[in-house]
Amino acid sequence: MTLAERTDVRPGVAPPAPRPRRRTAVARPWLLLTPALLVMGGLLLYPLVRVLVLSLQDFGLRELVSGRTKWVGLDNYGELLGSADLWATVLPNTVVFAVVAVVLTVVLGTLVALLLARLTPLVRGLVTTAIMVAWAMPAVTGTYVWVFVFAPVDGIAVQALDALGLVDAATANPFAGRISFYAVAALNVVHHGFPFVALTVLAGLLTIPRELTEAAIMDGASAWRRFWSLTFPMLRPVFAVVTVLSTIWDFKVFTQIYLMPGGDGVNRNVLTLGTWSYVESFAQNRYGLGAAIAVLLTAMLLVVTMAYLRLLFREEEL
Amino acid sequence: MRAAAKGLGVTGVLVFTLFPVYLMIVTALNGEANAGSRTLWPDEWTFRNFAYVVTEGGFGRYLTNSLVVALATVLAGALLALLAAVAVARFRFRFRTSVLVMVLIIQMVPVEALVIPLFIQARTFQMLDSLFGLVVVYLAFSLPFAIWTLRGFVAAVPVELEEAAYLDGASWGRMFRSVLLPLVAPGLVATSVFSFIVAWNEFIFALTFMSDDQNYTVAVGLRRFFGQHATDWGAVMAASTLITIPVMVFFVIAQKRLTDGLVAGAVKG
Repeated sequence: MTLAERTDVRPGVAPPAPRPRRRTAVARPWLLLTPALLVMGGLLLYPLVRVLVLSLQDFGLRELVSGRTKWVGLDNYGELLGSADLWATVLPNTVVFAVVAVVLTVVLGTLVALLLARLTPLVRGLVTTAIMVAWAMPAVTGTYVWVFVFAPVDGIAVQALDALGLVDAATANPFAGRISFYAVAALNVVHHGFPFVALTVLAGLLTIPRELTEAAIMDGASAWRRFWSLTFPMLRPVFAVVTVLSTIWDFKVFTQIYLMPGGDGVNRNVLTLGTWSYVESFAQNRYGLGAAIAVLLTAMLLVVTMAYLRLLFREEEL
Repeated sequence: MRAAAKGLGVTGVLVFTLFPVYLMIVTALNGEANAGSRTLWPDEWTFRNFAYVVTEGGFGRYLTNSLVVALATVLAGALLALLAAVAVARFRFRFRTSVLVMVLIIQMVPVEALVIPLFIQARTFQMLDSLFGLVVVYLAFSLPFAIWTLRGFVAAVPVELEEAAYLDGASWGRMFRSVLLPLVAPGLVATSVFSFIVAWNEFIFALTFMSDDQNYTVAVGLRRFFGQHATDWGAVMAASTLITIPVMVFFVIAQKRLTDGLVAGAVKG
């Protein structure tokens, strides 16, 4: 482990590749790469092309069975972009949820990292293990537990809010309303997502020379001031990477939404691009329209990914 | 920071992270007649829910399916990723950067975009309802992260060590086993844990590909305990506990390796 630690601790930054050695066999790297490239090409790249093609077809149950193709040009996109659902419901749900979840995840993760950095090794190990447990909780089971907590009538959260006089437990259903539905989803996603931010930022914090912090304290800088004038500028690349990665993950959250009551398309008010695409395809058998929605989601993610790549390229020579 | 503030912070983090886990386990062990009752401390403790889900609930079968799929994904993934990582870390060749950029980009692809075409493909090749079909898909999902992470570990092994092995007359295969493999082992642990979790937790593909409930994985099998009108929460939480514990054990064992792997690869598990 020391090897990886010694080289560089910034996320996404691997040590520079060694100088090339003379090789007579040009084929060897390709021989080593072929199996992995075949799997990724066949199961990730080809389907991406295929989904683009599908989005230009009217592909339903009949086409699925017969294997025939029926081209419709941009009709699916016309229907998608002309849909009131997209602009009033699905896009706001997807984007606002992602933004809120990312902000909460990064802020909480950073606060926890700052706390961890100040703890004794023993306590830090204890808290880190607890964080790991939250991280390790599978999306499926994590979602069911939060659904259980917020279950109508006798869920613990609903009972507690009733005791505080905020809701009436007999009638309250957190999953019916759009905002309360996403509040529960955000809690779930932040619980699962902040450990990554906390541990990555902590790794960055430990690289800041102790003398710098001590000098700032000697100069009488407050904790707030120290964070914005010292820690944040030094860890800017770390914050950039955790933010972009969190954005990508929170944009494409699927399982957590789909498994909540109504999230599987029953309650159309809480659809996201991801669940909408899935429901159109596999519940309505409209694979063409589902593909068009998936292409829109992919295009949005591509924009975020480009930001990620630019960050990486700025910092290292691949 | 004052000690009181620290104590408050530590308590807050512990409660927030562990409360759902605590609730899951307590509900699974709750023996009270009304399984839906929401108590923080049951009057009666029992393993009845666990016995029920494994024997009558068919969950034993799902556990076996998930274990087979996850182990196959881990083994195949470790092999393919290591070969690819050696290629990109040790050789300079045309399109090397293109390969690396592609590896980075394809981890961003949303599964919703892949599930539609892959479902149609799997249907054509009659790979639906097959555990092998799932393994192949999960392999593709875990490879980009594994290659990206292992690349850092391989590059960190000094070339001089390899050259010394050659000078001593070792073959490439011998050098690989005796020099490279032990030094990248921590990276292999990190990527194996990651691949295991991908395969163990995956939901959408297992849901879409598997129609015969004999072939369900744990993530999909859980839905069985949700009734039309009432949910057997005791059973759901017992099954959830059985799914979660192996992953948590892995995480805690591999904690150090995993965070180092993350730092090298910067990708969430």
